[in-house]
Amino acid sequence: MKCAEVEAKMIDYLDKNLEEGLCQEIEKHLETCEKCLDDLRDSQQVLNFISTDQMVKPDDSLRINFYHMLHSEIKKSEENNDSSFRKAIIPWYNLRQYRIAAAVALLICGTFIGILLHVGLSNSYASNELKQLHSEVSDLKKASMFTMLKEESSSDRIQAVRYADDLDSPDANVIDVLVKTLNNDKNVNVRMAAAYALSRFADRRAVCDSLVKSLALQNDPILQVTLINILVERKEKSALRPIQEIIANKRTLKEVRAVAENSLRVLI
Amino acid sequence: MADIPDEEIMQHVKDGNLAEMSVLFERYHLRLYNFFLKLTGKKDISQDLTQNLFYRIIKYKNSYKSGLSVKSWIYQMARNLHIDYCKEEKRSEELFMKTDSYPVDISDENTGFQEEDFERFEYAFAALSNEQKEIIVLSRYQGLKYEEISLIINQSVPAIKVAMHRAIKQLRGIYFKQI
Repeated sequence: MKCAEVEAKMIDYLDKNLEEGLCQEIEKHLETCEKCLDDLRDSQQVLNFISTDQMVKPDDSLRINFYHMLHSEIKKSEENNDSSFRKAIIPWYNLRQYRIAAAVALLICGTFIGILLHVGLSNSYASNELKQLHSEVSDLKKASMFTMLKEESSSDRIQAVRYADDLDSPDANVIDVLVKTLNNDKNVNVRMAAAYALSRFADRRAVCDSLVKSLALQNDPILQVTLINILVERKEKSALRPIQEIIANKRTLKEVRAVAENSLRVLI
Repeated sequence: MADIPDEEIMQHVKDGNLAEMSVLFERYHLRLYNFFLKLTGKKDISQDLTQNLFYRIIKYKNSYKSGLSVKSWIYQMARNLHIDYCKEEKRSEELFMKTDSYPVDISDENTGFQEEDFERFEYAFAALSNEQKEIIVLSRYQGLKYEEISLIINQSVPAIKVAMHRAIKQLRGIYFKQI
């Protein structure tokens, strides 16, 4: 065998990817050719450098940014689905929803008329009036949320969850419905939306406890990861137990286990 | 869920279940980040490129052809992102000087190498051409098979083998010339 041939087969030789006959021919050549032997040693060392290299972990912000991006893409795509869906159907298809939309629109008009009428009246009176109108809008949103959560289409149910997103301080009923949606809805995107809606109110003890409880119930990997991220961001110690159970559970997806194990470092 | 192949998950994403993208993120982000890190030598840039890559996967989900390897498709996109980045920066020579010296956790106790050997090796590696780095990163650092690389960079397996052998030859030349 010639030097050039040995050189061309060197990496396969070092990787032990050659058949016996070829190996013997190369070894025979190496016995007499010092230059090739030197090159072989050098190549071996270079490959050793590479094989002992360890992967570097990215900053946590990579994961956090990804989940934010994913969440907003899901929102966007649901909105697109909604509008293309509506365009495709006859105008009076979903009468109840149009009634609700019309009522909301009327109330908003009412709000503006209210503002116009009360210009010149005392500020406190106007602001009371506005407060009342505002709370009427909230009530209406709440009512439509409860109705729409019963809809068959998952994008309607996501829209319903989003109404809760618009409420400044949802009452216990709203929270209760969101928690039930998070734990029981059959569609993962709806459950995700509920998780994100609830995360806004996670500084309330009851909400936070429900999120921790829900983590123990969920077996969908995306929700497990989402809930772990929400709770870890809040440094919620009571999440330790369900997270440890997830790690101990043999059926847990290994990617989820990795997230869970990472989160322990923040929580402990 | 644990053993659901990438292809099936990508199909679900393509069908509109975007949330499943998080499974692919958890499977791939570490190696893709390291793919970019080896090529650019810069942590913040690698972080941005990884972020950007997952955004593109979602944005161009419809260009994924059902049944084809998701891994190759993702690496193809990663490669294109890196090429775009290089064009934008025109920085191939600059890289040699400005590589981040991120800490290498490997001590001489378990590998027999000194830390300064590793540092010198990083410099030698940074001096390779982008094409050479790419092939070494895909094959040796990321552990892809020649057949997989062939799909990603659109060259035949024998051509990749030749390129690989030249790249290693050059790497060892630069490294041992420094001593």
